[in-house]
Amino acid sequence: MIPYQYNLRSIWVRRVTAIITVLGVALVTAVLAAALMLAAGVKKSVSVGGQDDVAIIMRAGATGELESGVDESAVGLVLSQPGLAQENGKPIGGGEIVVVVALDKLGAIGFSNVNMRGYSDQSLKLRPNLKLVEGALPKPGTDEAMVGRGILGRFKGLTLGDQISVRKNRPLRIVGVFEDGGSGAESEIWADVVTVRAAFGRQSGVSVVRARLASAGGIEAFRAVIESDKRLGLKVKSEPDFLAAQSEGLSKFLTIMGFIVSLFFSLGAIIGATITMHAAVAHRTREIGTLRALGFSRYAILMGFLMEALVMTVTGGAIGLLAALALSSTKISMMNPATWSELVFALAPSTQAFVTAGLFSVGMGLLGGFLPAVRASRISPLAALRS
Amino acid sequence: MSAEQSKSVGSAISIKGVVKEFTRGGQTLRVLDSLDLHVPEGSFEALMGPSGSGKSTLLNLIAGLDKPTSGEITVAGARLDKMSDAEITAWRAANVGIVFQSYNLLPVLTALENVELPLLLHKMTSAERKKRAQIALDIVGLSDRMGHYPRMLSGGQEQRVAIARAIVNDPKVIIGDEPTGDLDRNSADEILKLFEQLNRELGKTIIMVTHDPEAAERATVIRRLNKGVLA
Amino acid sequence: MNLPGLAVRNIYRNPVRLALTVAGVAVALLTFVTLRTAVMSWDEAKNYTLKDRLVTRHKVTFVMDLPKNYADDVRDLKGADGKPLIRASTFLNWFGGKDPAHENDFFATIAADHTTFLTVYDEIKIPDDQLKAFNETRNGAVVGDLLAAKFNWKVGDNVTLESPIFGARENGEPWAFKIVGLYSTTSKAVDRLTFYFRWDYMNDGVRAEAKDRVGWIASRSVDAARAAEVTAAIDKRFDDADTQTLAQDEATFFQGFMGMVSSVLAIMSYLSYIILAILGLILANAISMSVRERTNEYASMKAIGFRAKTLASLILTESTLIALAGAIPGVILSYLIVDVALGDFLEYNLANFFPVFRVKFWTYAEAVAAATVIGLFAGIVPALTVARLNVVENLRRVA
Ligand SMILES: Nc1ncnc2c1ncn2[C@@H]1O[C@H](COP(=O)(O)OP(=O)(O)O)[C@@H](O)[C@H]1O
Ligand SMILES: [Mg+2]
Repeated sequence: MIPYQYNLRSIWVRRVTAIITVLGVALVTAVLAAALMLAAGVKKSVSVGGQDDVAIIMRAGATGELESGVDESAVGLVLSQPGLAQENGKPIGGGEIVVVVALDKLGAIGFSNVNMRGYSDQSLKLRPNLKLVEGALPKPGTDEAMVGRGILGRFKGLTLGDQISVRKNRPLRIVGVFEDGGSGAESEIWADVVTVRAAFGRQSGVSVVRARLASAGGIEAFRAVIESDKRLGLKVKSEPDFLAAQSEGLSKFLTIMGFIVSLFFSLGAIIGATITMHAAVAHRTREIGTLRALGFSRYAILMGFLMEALVMTVTGGAIGLLAALALSSTKISMMNPATWSELVFALAPSTQAFVTAGLFSVGMGLLGGFLPAVRASRISPLAALRS
Repeated sequence: MSAEQSKSVGSAISIKGVVKEFTRGGQTLRVLDSLDLHVPEGSFEALMGPSGSGKSTLLNLIAGLDKPTSGEITVAGARLDKMSDAEITAWRAANVGIVFQSYNLLPVLTALENVELPLLLHKMTSAERKKRAQIALDIVGLSDRMGHYPRMLSGGQEQRVAIARAIVNDPKVIIGDEPTGDLDRNSADEILKLFEQLNRELGKTIIMVTHDPEAAERATVIRRLNKGVLA
Repeated sequence: MNLPGLAVRNIYRNPVRLALTVAGVAVALLTFVTLRTAVMSWDEAKNYTLKDRLVTRHKVTFVMDLPKNYADDVRDLKGADGKPLIRASTFLNWFGGKDPAHENDFFATIAADHTTFLTVYDEIKIPDDQLKAFNETRNGAVVGDLLAAKFNWKVGDNVTLESPIFGARENGEPWAFKIVGLYSTTSKAVDRLTFYFRWDYMNDGVRAEAKDRVGWIASRSVDAARAAEVTAAIDKRFDDADTQTLAQDEATFFQGFMGMVSSVLAIMSYLSYIILAILGLILANAISMSVRERTNEYASMKAIGFRAKTLASLILTESTLIALAGAIPGVILSYLIVDVALGDFLEYNLANFFPVFRVKFWTYAEAVAAATVIGLFAGIVPALTVARLNVVENLRRVA
């Protein structure tokens, strides 16, 4: 093998070109890593805080809370089934209603939908991480609401003390701001379930029932009971399963988009690497010939030049990953098609994102360096004699 | 007319008390030390001396490629040491022709186009440019190679193209830094013949650095430079 | 021979590098054009909307509908002078239908009042005999010709759909439709991928509390110039009712949806700048390399008497020309891939998201201008280097 210093030094000799190449690869890697971190961020924020022993009971055909409807009569029936955790002789659980409201975006044209959840004191028991960070909890039975920290200030009316209108002369006043460990609930408006049902004319029922199981393992038995009653037309999902499905569409979309875009971007970076390596080889014809004359094999030359390309792209990859990492505190607001409403989330660094983007940069080096390396390996030892 | 007068009036090149120092890594190297030189118009001079004695440095000063640390340099009537870079550049385009040891032709241009190159610096129609370049190539005996690219020419032919390029502007002074250094005997002879011809028939002032005593013999004056001082 | 000519010849000196650079610039511009077109397609689609077509929906949320009598009230709305403000009006419901045979293919299913629908959407064309059949068949449906081609549906076919919103029909029967017609359109304001069926058939089948409710009302005002006045009149009409409305002209309505995709559009804009940065790096790399290799030539030219300014402009010309050399195939490639291939594909298959996906002339212009300017900038550093080139130093390396 050629001593690696030979290739490292020649990168240094052509450092301007090398730096330009490294930057190109860094940009591509940063884009891919950021896209994958976005996808991971969606997953994380939607599924964070999902508890194995919380069951969600919804309409059999529904894919989300918005589509689902559970009749008032069924709520009592569901909660009276065995297998639920009890407190003071009563099951822990209750109905929640989910609707969306169209609100004007701040800092962007148009409106978007925001999830509004009608909750009861039972809902709070099922979310141990939820805590008020500002203001007060809405008083039950009033037109008061609290807003998740994620969407706070991102829409018209969603600030403490402000109000949004849901019905004629009955605005909802925002009296509190809450956080919930970064979960999807932080992108919601919460108000008393009775208030929301009245405002949206949903007197006949709720969207879903949430309940705590006596044990996480008890879900199968509980499901068997609920789902066997065909008249109810309901299904049971564990909270983590349900949440995972809510993030699937958007995170898949972001992942696929990320790959497509990076693929096109990487063509540019690969061409850049090829240009650099091609010049590096063309300029060292005499040197390479000398190496061959000294007895280095074609293979050794090939590997030496591939390594030279790899050193550049992997360095670029590392810089790109660092740049993506620097973005990880950035909050993004995007519509989640699964809930029809805006989800605010942060880019989440994940091992998968890093490994994938890292491998991508290696791939760019191999592809960009291959042809020039082959060319280098074909140089005849006689080239050493030419001037 | 006194000797002194004839020197300054008829001088193509007049150098008085020129010092040239280079500073490298904190050390100052005095390459030319209070050098005086007068080259009369129409003279063909050879400059000899050991390697590192300052020959190239002196030629660069004459061509206005570099400036003296101190002293006066007058070439073709212009005080180079007092001129700005831009002025020197414009002056050089009209008054000196340079012939390099390694020809330095542009590989992407044909012989004719290489010769035309300096004419682009002057207002001139392209037809006129071409005609003048053809004349210059004719003088160096290469009218049959006008469309050839440098890589299709021999070293001697390349150097003749370079000479054509140097004279196409009709400069008063031609300088050559080892113009025959890379050439075999025969080619070198042709180049030297060409220089003689330019000197005799066109009255060009030529100053040429060479290591080759035979080449130096062709010149009318031989000067020797040693450790920055003319002998 | 002249100086630009020399720049051109310098470009051809290294054909492999030239080919790579041109390819790099072309691919980068193709990516740029694709991203810009995706961003602009929303704006572009807005141009097809009609200023005199108004959409009236629930003020607070799309999940709630309006009482059917609102549709009558809108239709009969009069101005202060007692003259009608609306010349045609219809009402529609989002059905959310899914075909179990095409589980993973989304398509829009909309219940429309067949008696008034075509007066508001007069871009929709249905052959007379098929229109007659639609009027005579209660469970009849007219389907966009592109959707029909996609699913291989023909006039006379029976299709059963499921609706997660409405569940089964009240009488327990499935939602069974008969395709009685195929429609085409004369404008891109309406897609050709929707499954329209009769509103009365839907109203028969829904549960009691969902009966006589309409999702939204679409109307044509008497005068496009009075859109603002008419929409305000509609909202005012229901201001004291339990349910308030939000009436908008079609363009404003459409613009509202931008909010839902604004972050995706913003990301795509950022990406289009990043690809320009990559383009700049490719050009800077190529030009700085070429100039470096030719340092001695520039030194000799300087020695001959060329001014720094001349040499710098020679290099800038070269780098700009390379960028242009890549921009031309880039534009051609963009036309073929984005405008022709991708445009057709998206407009036929994803018209709900990209009703119009065509490259605007300005996008091409933007791409070429960006490449040219970037090419010029890419040459600046090498040009300065050569302008500052020390002739003596560089000639010494050779001699
Ligand atoms: N630009 C420079 N910087 C530093 N030293 C220089 C430079 N140019 C020439 N020299 C030094 O000046 C001396 C004379 O050089 P040169 O004129 O090229 O000699 P010659 O042409 O006679 O061989 C040498 O010692 C050389 O190293
Ligand atoms: Mg010398």
